[in-house]
Amino acid sequence: MLGRRSTRRARLLAGTVFVGAVLAAGCGSSSNSGGGGSGGSGSNASAGSALTVADVAPFTGTDAALGPTYLVSCDAATNAIDAAGGVLGHKLNCKSVDTRGDPADAVPAVHQMYASSAPAFVIGCTSDEAASVVPIFAANKTVSFCMTGQSEFDHVKFPYFYRLVPPDLSESYAMVAIAKNRGYKRLALAFGNDIGSQTFIAPAIAAIKKAGLQLVSNQTLDLSATTFRTEAAKIVASKPDAILTEALGPTEASFLTEVKQLNGGKMIPVIGTSATISPDWFKSVSNAIGGSALAGDFQADNLITESSGPAFAAFAKAIDAEKGKVGSTGDFSTYLTAPGAVHLYDGINLAALAMLAAHSTSPAKYMPFILKIGDGVPGAQVVHSFAQGAAALKQGKQIRYEGPGGPTSFDAYHDSAGLFQVDTYTPNGTVKVAGNLSTAELRSLGL
Amino acid sequence: MSVFVASIGFGLVTAAVLALAAVGFTLQFAVTNVLNLAYGGVMIVAAYAAYALNHAGVNVWLATIAGVVAGALVSVLLNSLVYTPFQRRGASPIAMVIVALGMTLILTFGTQALAGGTNVSYAMSQGATVKAASIELTVVQLVIIALSVAVMLLVHVLNRYTRLGKAMRATAANRSLARNCGIRTDRVVTSTWLISGALCGLAGVTFAINSGTFGATSTDVFLVLILAAVFLGGPGEAYGAMLGALVIGLATEVSASVIVSSYKDVIAFMILLAMLTVRPNGLLGARA
Amino acid sequence: MIYYITNLLVYAGVDAMACLGLSQQFGVGGVTNFGFIIFQAAGAYTAGVLSLPPDSANGAFQRYVLGLNLPFPLPLIGAAIVGGLLAIPFAAILGRRLRGDFAAVGLLVAAVMFNLLATNFVPLFNGAAGLSLVPSPLQGSFNPQSAGYQWMYGAFAILLALAVYWFVSRITNSPYGRTLRAARDNDLVADSLGKNLRSLRTSSLVIGGAIAGLSGGVLVGFINLWDPQAWGYAETVVLFAAVIIGGLGNHRGAILGAILVPVAFEEATRYIPPVPGNPNLIPALQWVVIGCLILVFLWFRPQGILPEPRRKLATRVPGDLPASPGDQPISPGDQPAPPSDQPVPSTDLAALASPQSRDGAPGPGGAEPILECRDLVRSFDGVRVVQGVSMAFRRGHLTGIIGPNGAGKSTVLAMLAGTLAPTSGEVIVQGQDVTHLPAYRRARLGVVRTFQLASEFKRLTVLENLLAAIPDQRGDSFRGAILGRRYWGAEERDAIDRAQAMLDRFGLLGLADRYAGDLSGGQRRLVEIMRALMAAPDVLLLDEPMAGVHPRLAHDLGMRLVGLCEEGTTIVMVEHELSIMDEFCDPVYVLADGQVLAEGTMAALRSREEVVEAYLVG
Repeated sequence: MLGRRSTRRARLLAGTVFVGAVLAAGCGSSSNSGGGGSGGSGSNASAGSALTVADVAPFTGTDAALGPTYLVSCDAATNAIDAAGGVLGHKLNCKSVDTRGDPADAVPAVHQMYASSAPAFVIGCTSDEAASVVPIFAANKTVSFCMTGQSEFDHVKFPYFYRLVPPDLSESYAMVAIAKNRGYKRLALAFGNDIGSQTFIAPAIAAIKKAGLQLVSNQTLDLSATTFRTEAAKIVASKPDAILTEALGPTEASFLTEVKQLNGGKMIPVIGTSATISPDWFKSVSNAIGGSALAGDFQADNLITESSGPAFAAFAKAIDAEKGKVGSTGDFSTYLTAPGAVHLYDGINLAALAMLAAHSTSPAKYMPFILKIGDGVPGAQVVHSFAQGAAALKQGKQIRYEGPGGPTSFDAYHDSAGLFQVDTYTPNGTVKVAGNLSTAELRSLGL
Repeated sequence: MSVFVASIGFGLVTAAVLALAAVGFTLQFAVTNVLNLAYGGVMIVAAYAAYALNHAGVNVWLATIAGVVAGALVSVLLNSLVYTPFQRRGASPIAMVIVALGMTLILTFGTQALAGGTNVSYAMSQGATVKAASIELTVVQLVIIALSVAVMLLVHVLNRYTRLGKAMRATAANRSLARNCGIRTDRVVTSTWLISGALCGLAGVTFAINSGTFGATSTDVFLVLILAAVFLGGPGEAYGAMLGALVIGLATEVSASVIVSSYKDVIAFMILLAMLTVRPNGLLGARA
Repeated sequence: MIYYITNLLVYAGVDAMACLGLSQQFGVGGVTNFGFIIFQAAGAYTAGVLSLPPDSANGAFQRYVLGLNLPFPLPLIGAAIVGGLLAIPFAAILGRRLRGDFAAVGLLVAAVMFNLLATNFVPLFNGAAGLSLVPSPLQGSFNPQSAGYQWMYGAFAILLALAVYWFVSRITNSPYGRTLRAARDNDLVADSLGKNLRSLRTSSLVIGGAIAGLSGGVLVGFINLWDPQAWGYAETVVLFAAVIIGGLGNHRGAILGAILVPVAFEEATRYIPPVPGNPNLIPALQWVVIGCLILVFLWFRPQGILPEPRRKLATRVPGDLPASPGDQPISPGDQPAPPSDQPVPSTDLAALASPQSRDGAPGPGGAEPILECRDLVRSFDGVRVVQGVSMAFRRGHLTGIIGPNGAGKSTVLAMLAGTLAPTSGEVIVQGQDVTHLPAYRRARLGVVRTFQLASEFKRLTVLENLLAAIPDQRGDSFRGAILGRRYWGAEERDAIDRAQAMLDRFGLLGLADRYAGDLSGGQRRLVEIMRALMAAPDVLLLDEPMAGVHPRLAHDLGMRLVGLCEEGTTIVMVEHELSIMDEFCDPVYVLADGQVLAEGTMAALRSREEVVEAYLVG
């Protein structure tokens, strides 16, 4: 029989564990965190200390590929900035914050991040957790560059929030525009049933209608299933000219394999979203259906990324410096066009340049410069890398930054959609630009 | 092509994999009365065991043998190290379910810890596609169906014509009486776990082959399909499991062709819940 | 830092509430609800759609039902109500006599299925994307991101958890809680003592469900978002692990488990830096550790860190109570007194069982049988075990039923009591046809049975076993439990006194606070009989009460039973011991092959050839 003593012992044990956990949380409270108020990075960084860029994204779980991809971009950008002298005497470094792909886990992860040391600004925040963490960033006055196309951010104002990737809405229109340009008349949709893929369906249907094209099949792929033969059969039976798709993880690989098999061994032309331009996606799908089969008939919409020119050169140099430091995630050169690499690199550069221009690391002071440097003012000198921009600012010039992601143009909600281009893969995974889409084209579809 | 007819073909493939798994599950349940919910975990361990060999260059069909052996070994260990000690202690059926769930976590996530979180595929070709009427299946899929049918026949022979089979049926019906009749029930139990584990391993590898790519958590939902097949046919009834696998396999793929495909697994769940509510002993079991 | 602490406080409060809800369902109610997470999810979704504006707002980027823009605290109340209501269909499904592990599997599957439905049926709760921008309570008047608000929210969550703790403790520590625990330990026996199992099970599920729904509502108001990722099957496993580790059947244990597992353990892993090259290693190992913890605890310490407390209710020790003159206490260990030839007046026993005097004439009498059965038939799988048995039992008689093994005696008894339904035939109690009445209703009419196999409530003390049987207790209802000790306290003290007196008469008062499961076979048998007596039955059906009991003790017991009959209790006893039949029973029925072979006094029966052939040897 359990006596009093054991109960007390048990309580003591439990209490110790709990207090220990809280103490551990308290440890590492940096001298930086401003204390009262909303205790975030609203204050100026003390001289000489490093500025941390936090990569707040899934590192584990279903979307575990995303966090590490963004980290590559972060390292590339910050290393290049440090090589060019840093920002106002501070070096930049990167830190990973794992949200586990789940909003309920993301919230404490972010609070713990602030508890240990508030970052200078944040990159990453995907559709998995953006909705729950962006308000926390805003409350802490932390600038964030997020990777979510969720429609929530299209028309709701979040201060401190910046988005350089297209809303899912416009991506859907872009995909249809690609189809129209290629002369495809019959289109099938195959999207996964997860957060990231779900928002493409309705706008795609609307765009197809407006474009006078025909929707022959619309299959939602249940990500918890492992075979999609019937869905593939339905699509093949409807004889589409092309399939519009996004389904991350192993789903896309299984699905496309089955489409190919049921179509007599031939691939049906595939049009993917910008999320399909990533080393991990290519590796997964090419393993399943073969690199040349994929490359033969695949297009993806993507925000314009440079593939040559001074911006690209600087970017490629920075990314290539990271080669060998990353585990095998597929063809490294894909990073050069992956949205998760390109746009976050641009975001980091924008923030760094804005700090320089404002002579301050305080967001209240440098945020207006993000818009100025991103959109440009009349007479501004166009720069293509941090080093260039820093040099121009030293000479007292006004600058406009145009990185590998092309020119930015922020709207009232701090979203910059930019222009679209069409990407394809080579059989070994290199990304090639196959064409452009103009805003007019998208507007004509009803965007 | 008629998608409906094609889906029947796909349903047969799913049914084939399900049959292997469900028969293994139910044979073991009949003899030991334990719902081995860690079954999905063992399937994945076997799939990865075959993958390890296949990745090192072995042909996938030979690697399947490794999977079968792995499944058998892990199952026997699972029983002797975990289930039997708890049963000897007089653990209630509910406690055994919780134990099984705990083991699932250990097996599945232990595999993930060792093998990594990314998905993998076997290096193999799917073979040519064979068409008949509207049914289109690859050679590999036909092999899976043939394999499954062959194993079902073997199980039938085991059940009906071998001594072990009779001993298993006796032990399943009444263990103490069987022991009193001179049947070495302990050995029968171990043999049952071996056979069930071998079937589980085979099911795991064929599942992985059929899915194209797989990861440590791929069998989470599949386990529910297995349970649906088992309960539809009647827990403990081998022929019931075969029938159940056929019905569930066909139902999921055919329903995907007829209704919105994202709900195709839901129909299996609903069948399972309906059986549990209305007729827990299954179609081939005794009336409750 | 502050925000991290307040975050942990809110999560601790929410997890504590969820674990308390589970503890009430599982630990106290004995319902293994593997679909538990559905209730929390339903609460969160409800709070979400009640507090959100209609889905056309915010640029119409989501689709969901309702959207009533209700102010705090209405969404929370709605969440709790929906959580409770959702439990009702679950209770209906679980009500059928489904094997425990089958039911558990069904619930697990239900959880996975609902998650799939929520993910795929977009117009309901916006599918995989879930509900975003869910307003925090009172966010119109306060800034939800300010430190002050966060502290208030944390305090609110903790206070709610404490309120829930107070609430479930009030229920569990009442006579109603005792009944719940008894039904958990042995539902068949509780049923035969007059407890309505379906209502008990429903109550456990509804209470647990409402609490879980409330916890979901509090959580969604904090993270402002709710999608299917947040409530997978994994979350249920974590909650179960928490309750098992913390302690089953102990509400403080549930809180402890909540702090240790979902909060401390999950947070601790956040501090471990990711392993380069294998970022999934730490979270995967986290799950492996949880699996191992479950197994380790179930093996070494299944009662958890804080086990269910043993309730010590005894207020007296042996020797306290005055012995009545002429009444010898039965003590199994003592030298047995020489058997007397007259039935010992056991007015005490009957009076102990129920304080009110009996209705109806005491002593054997009345031409009307108080209990009878007509043409009872029962088949099992086509085999007719009972083939047309008709018997009548007159008030105040001690009737015996004997017969060879397999004659169908226990089956007949079970059909009389209602724990088994007849294939055909009728059972009539005091002129009323009760054939289709379930056991618990018959118990309330005064027909109580004992069981052949050990059937004490193992995790209740001996005293609690007796108390559980008392019918019509004030505190033995949900309402009574809520009204608290002030309402049922006096009656309970009274009941304890009576139970202790009963224990004293049988010499077991010293064991009053021991767990009934720890007693020896003979002692357990006595406890069972005493318990049946506490139910104040009009008709007592005993299934081999003397089996394994010392012959002298059996004799004394027989005398007690005869004494009870003098008081007007009718007793029917299935037995093997012919000497008992000889001495105490009149009349005696002989059953063989499922039919009544003969009836009469033992002396008369012994002279009948067919009876001798069928059964009696020498």
